Amino acid sequence: MTYRISVDRDVCMSSGKCVADAPDVFRFDDDEIAEIVPGATQPSDERILDLARACPAGALVVTDVDSGEEIDVG
Amino acid sequence: MTAVAEGAEASTIVLSTFADAKDAYRNKDLRQSLYDEGEVVMSGVLVNLHGQEHRDRRRVENRMFRRDVFERYERELFPEVTVQTLAPYLEAGRVDLVHLGHELMLNLSALTAGIDRPLGTAEETGRLYDYNAKFIEGATMAHYTGDKDALRAEIAKALDDWDEEFLAPSIARREDLLAREAAGEDVDVPRDVLATLLRHREELDLPRHVIRREVAFFLLAGAHTSATAFVRSIDHILGWLEAHPEDAAKVRDDALFVQRCIHETVRLNPSSPTGRRRALADVTLRSGVHIPEGSIVVLDLQAINRDTELFGPDAADFDPTRTMPPGVAPFGLSFAAGMHVCIGQDLAAGVVAVQGTDPDDHLYGLVTGAVRHMFGVGVRRDPDNPPQRDTSTARPYWGTYPVLLGE
Repeated sequence: MTYRISVDRDVCMSSGKCVADAPDVFRFDDDEIAEIVPGATQPSDERILDLARACPAGALVVTDVDSGEEIDVG
Repeated sequence: MTAVAEGAEASTIVLSTFADAKDAYRNKDLRQSLYDEGEVVMSGVLVNLHGQEHRDRRRVENRMFRRDVFERYERELFPEVTVQTLAPYLEAGRVDLVHLGHELMLNLSALTAGIDRPLGTAEETGRLYDYNAKFIEGATMAHYTGDKDALRAEIAKALDDWDEEFLAPSIARREDLLAREAAGEDVDVPRDVLATLLRHREELDLPRHVIRREVAFFLLAGAHTSATAFVRSIDHILGWLEAHPEDAAKVRDDALFVQRCIHETVRLNPSSPTGRRRALADVTLRSGVHIPEGSIVVLDLQAINRDTELFGPDAADFDPTRTMPPGVAPFGLSFAAGMHVCIGQDLAAGVVAVQGTDPDDHLYGLVTGAVRHMFGVGVRRDPDNPPQRDTSTARPYWGTYPVLLGE
């Protein structure tokens, strides 16, 4: 299974948790909303799930690349 | 286990498993309800907001709670504040830890909240301390055991008096600085909650009375939760050292060990023993627990953080060498989770160390620093004055905790 992680801008509350935990993947945009670092390599599936679960706002969206469906990270 | 009790107006559902509680904290249809009785000081403050209003406020305020700010507090500001605050007590050779903890953390939270003390005198700090103590009673009103209406009136009066003496001058100074900054002048606007709120008051549509309560909230929350953790940690460590005297050097020299002691203390003693939410819609948790719209959900943190199925048969014991289950923070759910996860968690308790953590570049948290400092000055129980519980609240707080200092 291959997952992809993205940020729901409307839900992000700028906690900075993802930016602190994975600065190679996330950064703040000019509005201090988290965004994927341009050109960043997608993390492993396991890391993606850890990052998504750690987001206090639930703003990190995990998608199954094959099916295109959003994954419930629990 | 989850208990359901039918009340006269709304059912109350008690969650006492880690998974249910975490699920509930993350559910957007469960709204904060812990401070319903403390509205005199908590109405409209960050932890009481929901949805878009909460997200907008938190986005603005989160900018102050970044690693670079924490590093400045932990490495530059707080060590000096600790030494200064402790000095008179060290000279006296004794102190009440409950008072010291609140005074120490108040000195810090006043900086974070943006409350100036232009006189810089002990009397001025004493007055701020008294106001803050009253605000704390407001935030913890749900567990107050006395006359709540009388207490509400006292808190409203305290807010008025504090506003006149401390808040209004602090606002005036920042408004002046912000105006000069807007005019292109090179001025140093403080990086604190008050200045941040004033800078964004139009965008967030903040009336003055909300700014007043928000700043009071940051003042009380920053001081109180860390102060209680400070006292409890020292109590637990003193108990641990009685059974493990070989660790005496560690509490002075090994900051990572002391941080584990803080986390273990916070696991066993969440600042509030319960979380509380109100269901805005029908909710079904992953476990199948159904929560009807309008229900009150109580998260029994005290039980959850001592769950023997999760933490083992010694779950209720203080053991800083404990191995945590996968996916569980060393402080359990004491800092909550989801949208209302504690904004000052890393400031107070530091970042959780992992394998390979560089001790020289690690954030240990202010409570860790303060507790370690106390063991460096020989803190020990006063055999003639045993600690006493606070009987004015159902929360398990220490009312007094006299200790001796020095050799």
